Amino acid sequence: MIRFLAGKGGQYALVLLFAITLNFLLPRMMPGSPLVFLAGEDVSFLTEEQRGALVNSLGLDRPLWAQYGRYLFQLARGDLGHSFQKARPITEIIGERLPWTLLLVGLSLLIATLVGIAWGALAAWRRGTMMDIGSLGLSMFFESTPSFWLGMIFIALFAAGLGWFPIFGAVTPGAVLHGWAHVSNVAWHLVLPLATLTLITIPGMFLIMRYSMLTVLGEQYIATARAKGVEERRVLFRHAIRNALLPVATVFMLNVGFIVSGATVIETVFSYPGVGRLLYEAVLNRDYPVIQATFFIITISVIVANILADLLYPLIDPRVRRGA
Amino acid sequence: MASVAAAELPFVRVPRRRLRLGTVGVTGLLLLGVLAGAAVLAPWIVPYDPETISGAPFERPSARHLLGANDIGQDILSELIYGARISLTMGALAALVAISIGTVVGIMAGYFGGWVDIALMRLVDIVLVIPFLPLMILLAAYLGPSFWTIVIVIGVLVWARPARILRAQVLSLRSVEYIEAARALGASAVRVLRRHVLPAVLTLSLAQFILAASNAILIEASLSFLGLGDPTTKSWGSILYYAQVRSAFLSGAWVWWVLPPGLLITLATLGFAFTGFALEVVLNPRLRR
Amino acid sequence: MRGIAILAIILVALASTPVAGQAPAGGVVRIAIGVDEGTLNPYTYRTGYPGWNFMTMVYDTLYYPDPNNEPIPWLVRETRVSPDGLTWTLTLHPNITWHDGRPLTSDDVRFTFDYVRRITHSRWTPTTRNLSAVEAPNPQTVVFRLMVPDAGFALRTLADVPVLPRHIWEAVTTVAAARAFTNTVGSGPYRVEEIRGGQFYRLTANSQYFAGRVKVRELILPIVRDATVAFTALKAGEVDTGSRLLSPELVAEFEKTPGMKVVRGPGFATTLLQFNLEHPLLRDLKLRRAIAYAINTQLMVRLLMLGYAVVGAPGYMHPASPFYAPGIRFSADKTRAVAILNEAGYRDRNGDGIREAPDGTALRFTLLANSENPIRIRGAELVRTWLKDVGIGVDVRVMDDASLIDLVWPDFDVCKGRRFDLAMFGWSAPVMTRPTALRDLFHSNCQTGTINIGGYKNQQIDRLGDQLAITVLPERQKQLAATMQKIIADELPVHVLFYQDVIMAYRQAAYDTWVFQKGQGILTKLSFVDPPKR
Repeated sequence: MIRFLAGKGGQYALVLLFAITLNFLLPRMMPGSPLVFLAGEDVSFLTEEQRGALVNSLGLDRPLWAQYGRYLFQLARGDLGHSFQKARPITEIIGERLPWTLLLVGLSLLIATLVGIAWGALAAWRRGTMMDIGSLGLSMFFESTPSFWLGMIFIALFAAGLGWFPIFGAVTPGAVLHGWAHVSNVAWHLVLPLATLTLITIPGMFLIMRYSMLTVLGEQYIATARAKGVEERRVLFRHAIRNALLPVATVFMLNVGFIVSGATVIETVFSYPGVGRLLYEAVLNRDYPVIQATFFIITISVIVANILADLLYPLIDPRVRRGA
Repeated sequence: MASVAAAELPFVRVPRRRLRLGTVGVTGLLLLGVLAGAAVLAPWIVPYDPETISGAPFERPSARHLLGANDIGQDILSELIYGARISLTMGALAALVAISIGTVVGIMAGYFGGWVDIALMRLVDIVLVIPFLPLMILLAAYLGPSFWTIVIVIGVLVWARPARILRAQVLSLRSVEYIEAARALGASAVRVLRRHVLPAVLTLSLAQFILAASNAILIEASLSFLGLGDPTTKSWGSILYYAQVRSAFLSGAWVWWVLPPGLLITLATLGFAFTGFALEVVLNPRLRR
Repeated sequence: MRGIAILAIILVALASTPVAGQAPAGGVVRIAIGVDEGTLNPYTYRTGYPGWNFMTMVYDTLYYPDPNNEPIPWLVRETRVSPDGLTWTLTLHPNITWHDGRPLTSDDVRFTFDYVRRITHSRWTPTTRNLSAVEAPNPQTVVFRLMVPDAGFALRTLADVPVLPRHIWEAVTTVAAARAFTNTVGSGPYRVEEIRGGQFYRLTANSQYFAGRVKVRELILPIVRDATVAFTALKAGEVDTGSRLLSPELVAEFEKTPGMKVVRGPGFATTLLQFNLEHPLLRDLKLRRAIAYAINTQLMVRLLMLGYAVVGAPGYMHPASPFYAPGIRFSADKTRAVAILNEAGYRDRNGDGIREAPDGTALRFTLLANSENPIRIRGAELVRTWLKDVGIGVDVRVMDDASLIDLVWPDFDVCKGRRFDLAMFGWSAPVMTRPTALRDLFHSNCQTGTINIGGYKNQQIDRLGDQLAITVLPERQKQLAATMQKIIADELPVHVLFYQDVIMAYRQAAYDTWVFQKGQGILTKLSFVDPPKR
């Protein structure tokens, strides 16, 4: 177990270092100067020396290796730096955005997983019936639908059209709400993005669960249980579903890794103030520190999800446990 | 957040009812056939040249323009038919790039094992971790967001998954008797790879290629929507981009300007997915067991 | 066809004498803005429009631009200018207080003008460069001493620099600290009540405002990055107006929406085809002229803007601008374009449909367009089609704004050269309203012609421009500007395609007494508070 972790751990560390370095280099290789975002539209009026001072105050004139060193040092101290554009600590900015993303993506992942498990199990249990075939078709359809398009249609129908839900944002701007009113306001804003994201996520869960379930149902011990006259319902719940969950867990963990970056497009469609949108805006604004920090958070979340998956496997899969 | 292909999970097996999957495959091929047919025959079946201004800007649907006209008076139906050319070609080319890389990497890792395997698989992990949005902007900025940039970028981002799957396939092949025999007899690696491994893997590559194409069409559409594609190329994604930025939702034009391209993207993706899915099951010996 | 233009330049009725301390009229107005404007203080707001406008709701300037963009006194009750134009003596209104209750005095003003020069601010450093001294002889009086007379002093300097509270900003001593400073205590009609990062701002009326009653109790500024979403929200009633100009296709839609009012006026922002004048082919005037004749700007305005724009004048200035030289017009003529090309020896020698220069170089150019601006992309496509018709090949390349700037205007410094052939470009309204715009745009010295991105060179323009900068008499200014426009129209360093009209929509139920600032729109301080009485 320890050796396993040490080996894998080393590899993850390499991935992390590679990602951090790339995080550092990519934004600096981009064409375009961040100056306009520092000094505003009127930067053309600045003298050479004033521009120099600006660049200097941000450390952008130092040699690349020095900037890199400083970046690593700050990172090690948990300091993500200041946004160029917003001139605020990035931890603060991400702190504002992250909860929204976690709420949106986390909730949708949770719902999608539960629905996917139930639906997949049912479809497999009734394999070959119209319900099964219909579900397969439907899930493949949603799997193939562009998420932004689905979101746009939802806005057209339910927000702009019927007026049931708001068009943008996570809370009503300027509303001073407390307690229950606040919660319901947030929930009301969450409905459409959540529905879109969930509908797009369910098919993956459904398909995996269905196949996994079919596999388990084909196993010897299920046949034995049935032959022994165990009640169908009991076979389904006690034996089949439980054993079929492992692959779903794998996909779940993979999705957990993308929890931070997974909703970029949806957040853009609904103007939802999450991290994905922050990254998109930062890239367009050449806000290097924000790009780096967001990349960093995304990378970390992927790696953490991987490590968690590695640690959890032996606990949930008897075969791996036996092997170790 | 694309789902993981079933073949990636070693414990997944396919139901015995192969017939059903045949239907799926046929449906997929049919969808692709219709769309590809439209793409090929585009010049003969479009009512107007999609580049010429044949109507008034934002013209509503009529007998002259079945799906109305876009923001500068080009016929939307004609745009969609020509769009099939661009979107399908783009998807296929991007998938080709991805599969070429994926196959080479997968075979090398699976066959040579050891450090080669570890190094390549770590590379795969890294690629899976790279947030591709900024990478796309970076490359688009340097190369200009042209047709080829998008093909290459999607290809370069999508190869990792097939590489993993092909590696697993090669690993299982390596212990197959005739390959072990060939190695024992002292055949060179190149020869074994070319004569025995590659042919056995190519079929699976084909299935992966088709799945990657379905993925690529979706990615292209998303990139175009975010304004990161090439808006001067008439792909379905860029038609949607214009519909969105020129307020199709406010004027009610979304019914004929947004719904059709979105549905076409879905159908094309579905066509590729069905076909690839069926092929994978038919061709993958490990799944066929 | 597309309807009668709704002309609505609403002027404030100056009827009642406002009383300081009176309660505001009430109501909440929600205005969608496009980008995060920091904390809305002078060092953190981002955009010239509407960022500056909202910043000046929180902070006051000594003067303020009126609906015709003429400076009117604001914090100042009386101004005396010495005969040589070098000494300006300003008397402040009495009883002006900061949001924290402290009095605003001439010492704050002196501190401010010293501060913005010391703590670099891109907007105000150049406009305060001409100051030799600022003095505060008593709490109500400020004296500005200029090095050379400056016709634009009241508008570009006094009506632009917000006065900072000394007791708060004194402690902020570096550029970095200023840019990170979040304090928003000003003297303006609104105070910043709440900032939800990346989501919205809430401003509340300053009941103690010196100039009188603030007409709207609360302003809420949601940040809606996507224009379509902002318009959808406006139509659905989730916001009451927005900082963005209405897209042409929405005008008719909004005009028939009940409760919605659409206001329209000339727009001073330009959309132009920018030539690189250092390009070996494009430096030929005949070729530029042929290109201009080949582009049907009238049709472009109809197709792209649905008629909601004014066709470009070749001398840069908008026909509604006070500096416009009447009679400078241009109309496209394809046959003339072909004739010019043939005559100049640009012929298609190898039969590929593209003409070649006498030395054999093909007339193929790359045209850059900003990927975030669909109208410019469509415009570029039209340019491509029309130039192809006369045998000039154009390859449209779309890229994000920062990448485009990097090629056209590297580091925003024209001294650093340029790497493009043709670009779809444009300047915002202030480049039309300031008298020295033509000098900034076309002066060959890159330190002077700070936005001469095409690298245009003409000694006569340089001389006229230098003269214009130090000319104080408005009539003389107009003469000089007219001469410059004639030269520009002849030499076509840029080809102005059109000026998009300023069209804005708002919900009348939320608020109905907006003031329309010419060329800019309704988001001016004058919409919410009447100018102070003398």
